Amino acid sequence: MLVLKIVALEPIHGYGIAQRIRQISEDVLQVQQGSLYPALHRLEKRGWLRGEWGEAETGREAKFYSLTKAGRKQLEDESANWDRLSYAVTAIMRTVQE
Amino acid sequence: MWLRKRTGDAQLDRELRYHFDSLVRDSIAAGVPPDEARRRARLEFGGLAQITEECRDARGRWLDDFGRDLRYTARSLRRSPGFLVVSVLSLALGVGANTAIFSLMNALMLRSLPVREPQRLVQITRVDAHGKPLNVSWQLYQYFRDHLKLISAATAEQDARPVIVVGGADEVVSAAFVSGYHYRVLGVEPVAGRLLEPGDNTLASSSAAVISYGYWLHRFGLNPGALGKTFTIEGHSNLFTIVGVTPPQYHGTVLGNDPDITVPAAMMLSADERNDPTLNNFKMLGRLAPGATRQQANAELEVLFRAFQQRVAATLPEQDRPSYLQERAAVLSGMNGFDPLRDRYSEALAVLMGVVALVLLLVCANLSGLLLARAASRKREISIRLAIGAGRERLVRQFLTESFVLAALGGSAGLLLARWFSKAIVTTMANGDVVTLSTAPDWRVLSFTAVISLLACVLAGLAPGLHALRASVERGLRQSRSGGHQRLGRFLLIAQLSISMVLVTGAALFSATLVKLYSVDRGFRTQGVLTFSLRTSGPCPSERCRTAAATLLDSLNHLPGVVSASAVDVLPISGSLWARDIEVEGYTFSAGENQTAAFNAIAPKYFATVETPLLRGREFDSHDTSTARKVAVVNESFARSFFGAASPLGLMVTCRQLRYEIVGVVADAKYTDVKQPLIRTMYIPWTQRTEEEPTDFNFLARATGGDPVRLAPTLEKLIREADPALRLSTTAAWSAVADRTIVTERMMAALGSFFGLVALIVACLGIFGVMAFRVSRRVNEIGVRMALGASRTGIAKLVLREAVAMLLAGCLPARRAAGVDPMTALRSE
Repeated sequence: MLVLKIVALEPIHGYGIAQRIRQISEDVLQVQQGSLYPALHRLEKRGWLRGEWGEAETGREAKFYSLTKAGRKQLEDESANWDRLSYAVTAIMRTVQE
Repeated sequence: MWLRKRTGDAQLDRELRYHFDSLVRDSIAAGVPPDEARRRARLEFGGLAQITEECRDARGRWLDDFGRDLRYTARSLRRSPGFLVVSVLSLALGVGANTAIFSLMNALMLRSLPVREPQRLVQITRVDAHGKPLNVSWQLYQYFRDHLKLISAATAEQDARPVIVVGGADEVVSAAFVSGYHYRVLGVEPVAGRLLEPGDNTLASSSAAVISYGYWLHRFGLNPGALGKTFTIEGHSNLFTIVGVTPPQYHGTVLGNDPDITVPAAMMLSADERNDPTLNNFKMLGRLAPGATRQQANAELEVLFRAFQQRVAATLPEQDRPSYLQERAAVLSGMNGFDPLRDRYSEALAVLMGVVALVLLLVCANLSGLLLARAASRKREISIRLAIGAGRERLVRQFLTESFVLAALGGSAGLLLARWFSKAIVTTMANGDVVTLSTAPDWRVLSFTAVISLLACVLAGLAPGLHALRASVERGLRQSRSGGHQRLGRFLLIAQLSISMVLVTGAALFSATLVKLYSVDRGFRTQGVLTFSLRTSGPCPSERCRTAAATLLDSLNHLPGVVSASAVDVLPISGSLWARDIEVEGYTFSAGENQTAAFNAIAPKYFATVETPLLRGREFDSHDTSTARKVAVVNESFARSFFGAASPLGLMVTCRQLRYEIVGVVADAKYTDVKQPLIRTMYIPWTQRTEEEPTDFNFLARATGGDPVRLAPTLEKLIREADPALRLSTTAAWSAVADRTIVTERMMAALGSFFGLVALIVACLGIFGVMAFRVSRRVNEIGVRMALGASRTGIAKLVLREAVAMLLAGCLPARRAAGVDPMTALRSE
């Protein structure tokens, strides 16, 4: 879900995704490269991401991922799910504290 | 596939390298020294190869792996050509035999006519007691055509092999005489010109004719100029003009008989055929009316046929009525056309299908044994692959790939072999006749071949594959020689031996049946006798023709190289029978007793020519003319059944108001075919059989020795000398004609022996392979035995003892099989 969300902002390459996740979560979340790339390829195979070769900011060729229509829909479903889940968890935590 | 994988891998590599480089660059930018930056990046990144593998997994790697497995298999098979050749060869034999028999069954039973909506096509037919179709008369055809409401259209046809004259040359062709609605009922479209139409079926002196694509190809080289060509049919005055060509996939409606020419029936009918409602010479096809089912049409037909029978029975002589009224008619499926071969060979083919299935099973066992031996020798390799982390499922896939490659190779080779096999079988079945049976592989045959070759390979490959996997890593690496393959290997070998023993025993039984048929006392000798028939070219009045035929026999009897010559109406053991109801002087038939006797008309010197001994009285001679007193010669069975031991000479037999005096008794002889029991038979002189012309008779000439067919050229000359209007029609050795009545038995014996031989070869290969393998597995043990003082002969005995023990185990099922007579099913008639 995180990967989809980040890709949803703009087409981005794998390194960018890793950096972005680290920045946004303020170093709380660190994505292992060992699992990032297999995940990207799996998402691409499922048709949620589309990979295109383009020029990176450094001038070198890099593979940029962008969200497909199916991916956008998947992201919506998953964020809705997450919202429900996190709301429920928060609610339970609050009850326990009181 | 290769290309795709390469670029895929390269792209992945580039993508990961970019990430790695970016990490390094950012670290350097943050002030870390380059070497340290690279080290950190590597730490953070983890194993590049590992990530690559995982990405491949994520992408799905089945196709990639399959390609890899294929290449690996090709390499490893090339390393063991012996295994490759033996396994592909035995697979090809097994698959080829199965495909051949299946394509015959397909051609005979499954393939439907290439016409519009074949499932709506029905045979409208009289049926025998077993429900098998019989011909109908022209009268009955017209009656059904006009009265059946649930049949929208109907057609009748008759097959013939007439002589036609095209462009001054005469040739024998296969022909169909059809009603004008024929092609409309079938829904066949021409490839050139037009087909016959209802308007063509008139009694005009000139008419349209249609030729087949095959005839167009062979006779006219597909030249469009063939349309408009004219021809005549011998014996008929009509002139026919070719107006069209039937499509290449259309081979007529009667299986095995592909009509070269098709002409309207109207002018080809004899007066008898047109008017006699009991002269059944036609096959009738119809198309169900929209919405009607075959059952409904059948119900309607039964009622109509009853009415027709009542009307006709009133016109018949009293004694013929009961049997006529017992006749039945039915509407049968016409989807596959008419099929005289199906009835004759379906049982034989079913038995053969069983035989070849056994051959395939044998091949499976054989292949399994070979694969097992191979797997054992590859145990080390497998253990290494397991040890370095190959999944078991992955290894099974590798084994299956190997099976797949073998199946593909064996299957294709089998397909080629099958073409040749089925051609040979069709030739045996045809046995001198012209049978066009298309055994070209269609989708059914191809999928059958694919399925059985795959099935065979998977079956054969599964057991050894799983077995090999069960071997643990360490044990395999230690190269231990005490494998658990022994039991499976021995089981496979025994299975092979049993199956091949069963097949060989079966072959022996089939051959024994054939030998019995040949050694049966026929009552005459077919060897060394030439049979031939005459035809007329141009007008030849009956009286002149008879004189000419007598002259011909006379000159033949004086020809050097000919022992004796004669003629007979129905050639014995050619499959035909002529029987009639009789009355016998001094004998009263009890109620319900069978009153029939077989009849035959013969020329003088017949018994001398066929070498049937004359027991009493005399043969016919030139004094028994058409105007002389009617005489008959009877056989022993006839004399015994009516007169016991008393002499029948001088007694009278009445048949159809004609009284014959018995003047001679001959020994019994077979009539229809060698399988039928002897029947009481009565012979009359050919001169007193006025209904038939000499062209209806079979002439016989016993040669002094050697092949009687060599007489044929001299015959031509003699025949023309006897009368310029006479021609030689057909010639054949009598023994060859007689062979045609036991085609099934000959085919079963030949094919049974062939498959038995194949089974033996395959089993020998298997035994050789497995024994060699077992010995190689026991090298250690043998070495120890020899070190302990065992002699060479002792070791040889050890191995032989094992082989013999397995052989004996294999013989048990064969003994049981020998107790069954596979011909029982075929002799059901």
